[in-house]
Amino acid sequence: MSQMSRVRAFLSRPQRTLVLPALAVVIGLLAAALGLFRAAPKPLLVVPPGYVALVNQKGLLLNDYRAQVELETAKHYADVTPDERRRVLREMINEELLVQRAVVLDLPETANEVRATMAVGVNSQVAAPVLAYEPTDAELRAFYEKNRQNYATSGSMTLHDLVLGVGGYQNANQTTAQAQIDAAEAVYQLRSGASLDYVMAHFGFRPSGRAAQGEELDFAMKLHLGAQLYAVASTMRDGEVSDPIVAPDGLHIIVMERHQFPQVADFTAVRDRVYLDYRTASSNRATSQNLRLLRSQASILLAPGLSE
Amino acid sequence: MQPNNLKRVKIAKWALPLAAIVVLGLVMIAVIHWRSQRLQARLLATPPEAVANDPALVRFATAQARPLFAAHCALCHGADMRGNPALGAPNLTDSVWLYGDGRLFDIELTIMYGIRSGLDKTHNETDMPSFGLRGVLSDAQIRNVVQYVLQLSGRPYGAEAANEGRAVYVGTGNCGDCHGPDARGNSDYGAPDLTRNVWNSGGDPQSLYTTIYFGQHRMMPAWKGSLTLEQIRALATYVYAVSHAK
Repeated sequence: MSQMSRVRAFLSRPQRTLVLPALAVVIGLLAAALGLFRAAPKPLLVVPPGYVALVNQKGLLLNDYRAQVELETAKHYADVTPDERRRVLREMINEELLVQRAVVLDLPETANEVRATMAVGVNSQVAAPVLAYEPTDAELRAFYEKNRQNYATSGSMTLHDLVLGVGGYQNANQTTAQAQIDAAEAVYQLRSGASLDYVMAHFGFRPSGRAAQGEELDFAMKLHLGAQLYAVASTMRDGEVSDPIVAPDGLHIIVMERHQFPQVADFTAVRDRVYLDYRTASSNRATSQNLRLLRSQASILLAPGLSE
Repeated sequence: MQPNNLKRVKIAKWALPLAAIVVLGLVMIAVIHWRSQRLQARLLATPPEAVANDPALVRFATAQARPLFAAHCALCHGADMRGNPALGAPNLTDSVWLYGDGRLFDIELTIMYGIRSGLDKTHNETDMPSFGLRGVLSDAQIRNVVQYVLQLSGRPYGAEAANEGRAVYVGTGNCGDCHGPDARGNSDYGAPDLTRNVWNSGGDPQSLYTTIYFGQHRMMPAWKGSLTLEQIRALATYVYAVSHAK
C-alpha cells in the first residue's frame, strides 16, 4: 500500500473527525503558552528617533522640546545656547516626573483643578470644529429673534405697596370681609385722585416696607415684593392702582408711580453680543451632544435610592 | 527512462527556476524592507533642518508622504497642493506661511498639533474677528478697507476710499494689531502679510469683503495620534520639499 493510500485510509476512518479539532486545540494551546511565557518587552535603553528623552520609558517629543525651547528663549533653535537647551530639557523632565507622580497619586480623581482642566480640555476639543463655523447674518438674526428676552434692558419701577392688616394681624381687629370692603373703597378713592396719606389715615393702610422708596430695578423689585405682588406690579402702567391683593400678611394695594418696562435692544445694537452668544450656544450644544454620546456608551450604575 | 523519472525531470525544469525567482524575490523584498526601515529611522533621527539637505531622505519621505497626503491632506489643500480658497486652505507650493517661517520644523509642528484643533499645543493665538457680522465695522468702512488692502497688495484701488480704509485699518479696525502697522503680517498669530498679494480665501474685492465681514476662523486637525511620528515627518519633508523647490 502506497503512503498516500495509507493516509487516505486513515482519514476515512471514523476517528478522523476528532483529529483536526484536536490538532487545532494543540496548536492553540501552544500559541497561548508561547504568548504567556514569552518575556515581557525589554525596556528601551536608547531614546528612539523623534524623542529627546525617556522618562520612566515615557518619551518626550523632539518637536515639543524644540517648540518649548523657542518659546522660552524667543529665539530660533539654532541660535539657542547649549545652557538654555539644557535648562529647558531639565524643566521638561521635571514636569514629566511631576505629571507621572500626579497620575500615581490619582490626581484626576482627587484634585478638583485637575478634573476641571481635563473636562475643559475635552470640551474645547469637541467644540473646536463647531467654533470654526462662522454663522451667516440670517442665522444670527434668527438666533436673536429666538432669544429676544436676553437682549432686553432691565426695567425699573417706582411704586408704593400699601397693606391693610386683617384678622388680628398686627393688632388689626377687622374681619377679612370688612377689610375687603375697606380695600375696595380705598382703591376707588385712590383711582379718584385721593392722596396716599388720606387713604392710609382713613382706612388704616400702611406702607408694607417691602419695596424701597424710590426707583428699583425689576429684578430687585421682584426680590423685595415677592412673586405674587411682582406678578401684578409687572403689568401696571404709570399712575395705575391695583385691585386689592390678598396676601398672608393682609390686603395689599400697589400704586405704580413710574414703570419703565424692559426694552428689547435692536439687533444692530447688540450684534456683537448675539454673535458671542450664538457661538457659546453652538459650543454648548456640541459639548452636550458629546456628553449624550458618552452617556450612551457608558455603564453608569446608581446606588439604591439615588437618582440624577 | 521510467515514466515517473521523466515526470520528475519535467517538473524540475520549471520548478527550479521558479524557486530561484521566488527566493530572489524574497531576498529583494527583504533588502528593500531593510533599507526602508533604515531610512525610516534615519528620517526621524535626523534633525529637521538637516533632513532637507539629504536627497535620499527627501526622496524616501516624498515616496512615503504622497499617498498619505492624498488620503489625509488633499481634501482641503487639493491634490495639487495649491490650496482651496473656498475652504481657506492655503497653497502649500509657495513660500508663504501663515504660521512659522516655513522651516521643516514649523511645518511638522503644524501637522502634528493642527490649527485651532482644540489641543493646548495647537496654533490658536488669535483669530480674525468677523468685523461686519459683529457690527464692529459698517458696510462702507469694510469697503474702504478692501480698497486699502488692494493698495497694499499693489493692485488698482480707489484713492479716496483707500485713504478712508487706512484710517479704519489703524483706528477702529485695529487691523495692525495682528497684521502689523506695515501690514506685513505676523506668523506668530497666523496673520498673513497683506502686501504680498497671496490670499488663502481669495484676493478679489468681493472675497476680501467677505473675509473682513465674516472674519477667519479656519481650523486644521491635529494629526498626532492619527499618524505616526514617521508619517508626520515624511509629510512635513514632502511639503517642505515642494514649497522650497527651485
